Amino acid sequence: MKILVVDDEGIVLLSCRRILEAEGFEVQAAPSVDEALALLDAPGAPLPSLLLVDVKMPVHDGMYLMRQVKAKHPQLPIVVMSGYPTDETVENAAIFGAATFIAKPFTPGELLDTVLSVARKGNKP
Amino acid sequence: MFTSIRSKLIASLLGVTLLVGAVSLWTGVHLLKKHVIGEAANRVALDLNAGSEMIQERIRLIRTALNITSLGSGFVGSVEAADPNDLAYRLSRLAHHAKLDFAGILGTDGNILSRLGPNAKIQRIPAENPIGRMALERQSSVEGIVVLTREMLLHEDPELAERARIAIPDLGAEAAAAAEATSGLALAAAVPIFEGSRVVGVLYGGQLLNRDETLVDMVRNRLSQGESYKGRPIATATVFLNDLRIATNVTLPDGRRAVGTRVSAEVKAAVLDQGRRWSGRAWVLSDWYITAYEPLEDIFGRRVGMFYVGTLEAKYTDILTRALTVFILITGAGMIVALGFGVLLANRIMGPVHRLIKASRQVSEGSLTPDVGPIKEGEFGRLQKTFLEMVAAVGRRRAASEDRIIQSEKQASVGRLAAGVAHEINNPLTGVLTYTHMLLRRKDLNTEMRADLETIAAATERVRKIVKGLLDFSRQTKLDPEPTDINRLVGATVGLLENQALVKGVAVKFMAGENLPMVTLDRSQMQSVLMNLIINALDATPPGGQIKIFTAPALSGDGAVHKGVEITVADTGSGIPAEHMDKLFDPFFTTKAVGQGTGLGLSVSQGIVQRHQGHIRVQSEMGKGTRFFVWLPIEGTGGKS
Ligand SMILES: Nc1ncnc2c1ncn2[C@@H]1O[C@H](COP(=O)(O)OP(=O)(O)OP(=O)(O)O)[C@@H](O)[C@H]1O
Ligand SMILES: [Mg+2]
Repeated sequence: MKILVVDDEGIVLLSCRRILEAEGFEVQAAPSVDEALALLDAPGAPLPSLLLVDVKMPVHDGMYLMRQVKAKHPQLPIVVMSGYPTDETVENAAIFGAATFIAKPFTPGELLDTVLSVARKGNKP
Repeated sequence: MFTSIRSKLIASLLGVTLLVGAVSLWTGVHLLKKHVIGEAANRVALDLNAGSEMIQERIRLIRTALNITSLGSGFVGSVEAADPNDLAYRLSRLAHHAKLDFAGILGTDGNILSRLGPNAKIQRIPAENPIGRMALERQSSVEGIVVLTREMLLHEDPELAERARIAIPDLGAEAAAAAEATSGLALAAAVPIFEGSRVVGVLYGGQLLNRDETLVDMVRNRLSQGESYKGRPIATATVFLNDLRIATNVTLPDGRRAVGTRVSAEVKAAVLDQGRRWSGRAWVLSDWYITAYEPLEDIFGRRVGMFYVGTLEAKYTDILTRALTVFILITGAGMIVALGFGVLLANRIMGPVHRLIKASRQVSEGSLTPDVGPIKEGEFGRLQKTFLEMVAAVGRRRAASEDRIIQSEKQASVGRLAAGVAHEINNPLTGVLTYTHMLLRRKDLNTEMRADLETIAAATERVRKIVKGLLDFSRQTKLDPEPTDINRLVGATVGLLENQALVKGVAVKFMAGENLPMVTLDRSQMQSVLMNLIINALDATPPGGQIKIFTAPALSGDGAVHKGVEITVADTGSGIPAEHMDKLFDPFFTTKAVGQGTGLGLSVSQGIVQRHQGHIRVQSEMGKGTRFFVWLPIEGTGGKS
């Protein structure tokens, strides 16, 4: 199972990779929205089965990425992360079709619980 | 200056006094004038009558004297015998007793038998004197006034002619009238002398009035009745021959009698020409007199002169002036009193007003404890009290709104800082948490390493909590209001904390108020407010203490009154030191040990309550306990913003 993690913070990318790979997931890390889109659009590459996206990023933010992804791949489940979750970000996340939301910082257990529950739901339909 | 209430007040008081003074002055003068001058005029008219009566009396006396003489024994015989010596003797006796200026006896032929004076013995010449002839013609006695021409007087006695001659000082244009100045006006009588029923002659006699001061002075003295004005008797009397003063005690400015002066044209026209009595105010030579004139008719019924009496008007005008002065003085005094009274009254009224104006100025300069002076009685006192209440209310509101502004400004800036910090910290914190926990999963750790890692994990967890608190604080989370039964909400919250209280040994009691209206509020946020208040109370209360929670309907305390509900959390704990009171709601203000409190509880709570349009108050007494009051409006956030 492949998971694409998008965050401008290297430590967050590292942490996610460390937690998820330990559980046996295949992890792709993108430090920006543009790189994430490039990875998704790369010809022949298989789509990841889950997207883990930060909200606040320079140039294009997480909301922008979600809109792009939902337009092309409506089935792809997205988990939104934020270090500063306001009511507005949570609402927007839901509107743009995020499967769920996780607040930074998180423990490995919290991240795995979130990802697994979304993956389980995503596998079902 | 003249628009001030003070000057208006004084001016109106003065005006009223002036008006009253002027009116009473006017009516007083009017009445006095009417009374005094009218009285004087009446008196003068009466005096004139009395004067005329005195003239008539004199004439009667003359006739009586003549009668007595004509009846004297031997008189008729002497007349018939035309004995000049005896007749002259009798005539001189008569003249002496009756004070006659002239007297004579006519025979039946109209010729003189005898007369007074130097021509006594020139007999058998026709008599000139008209009165004797008249008595002869009528065969009866005649009495009255006669005008004697110079010829008649010369005929009678040259000395008389001399006495009658009156120098006229103001001759001039009326030179023609000079002739009259040599005539005489006389009071005279003539009686027939009878022998049985046969007339044998006529006895006549009279007094020349020209220069005769006795008559006018007698009249004057009788009328003055001793009253005088500046050394002069107030009454005067005059006998006029035509319009010429021939006997008078009216004086010229130099003190001489005004003999030879003339009456005014107006009086002359009325009295001499029309034969009327004339009375009124008249300018007689040098003074104003209240006067009365009447015409004098001679024995032929011709108007030959006038008789006048008058009183100095000055006497009466003096009375008037005195009265006027008194009136003016009274009015003046009244005005001074009114002025004083007005100033006093104005001060009484305006003093407090000025004080209030000053107090208002103090308020506008920022004072909330203006000096309005001692509180008065009555309306003004009410004004003062209301003013003070108003200032106090303004002060309370301003303080409240200032507090609120400061508080929300503090919260906003701390919020921005917290948001920035939280956002930056959360990313590295994710790394710390991740790697600590990943390490802890390893099976090959020795106990020491595991203990160290767990310490890191716990500390990091604390950091996470602090950051979360900061974020909660900074987030001005939108309210999600719904109609709520306050008692249920409070009851549920108390339930959540009962265990904690039990462990600590503090009794928690909830006394639900009755008939509470539903309040529209965000339940979860309001619950966190209550939680923090109760936890704070628990923290402050030693074991064995008590926490009571009440709910009750209540009106908002400040200025505008709104209906609402008040939740009270009262403890028997430590109390809050006075110096902490104004810092309680500051973000990060805490007295709790590190790790026990972040100092954000009350700050966040206040933000939440304010977003509900409510307010939090606190009362505390050191060592006795603390009460927190949360007031929420019924209308909730849907009400006024
Ligand atoms: N009922 C009380 N009795 C005595 N002191 C109190 C009471 N309630 C609050 N305080 C004082 O007010 C301070 C601020 O309280 P606040 O709830 O804002 O922060 P805290 O309780 O210290 O920390 P936090 O609530 O963030 O965990 C407390 O530290 C305490 O000193
Ligand atoms: Mg607290």
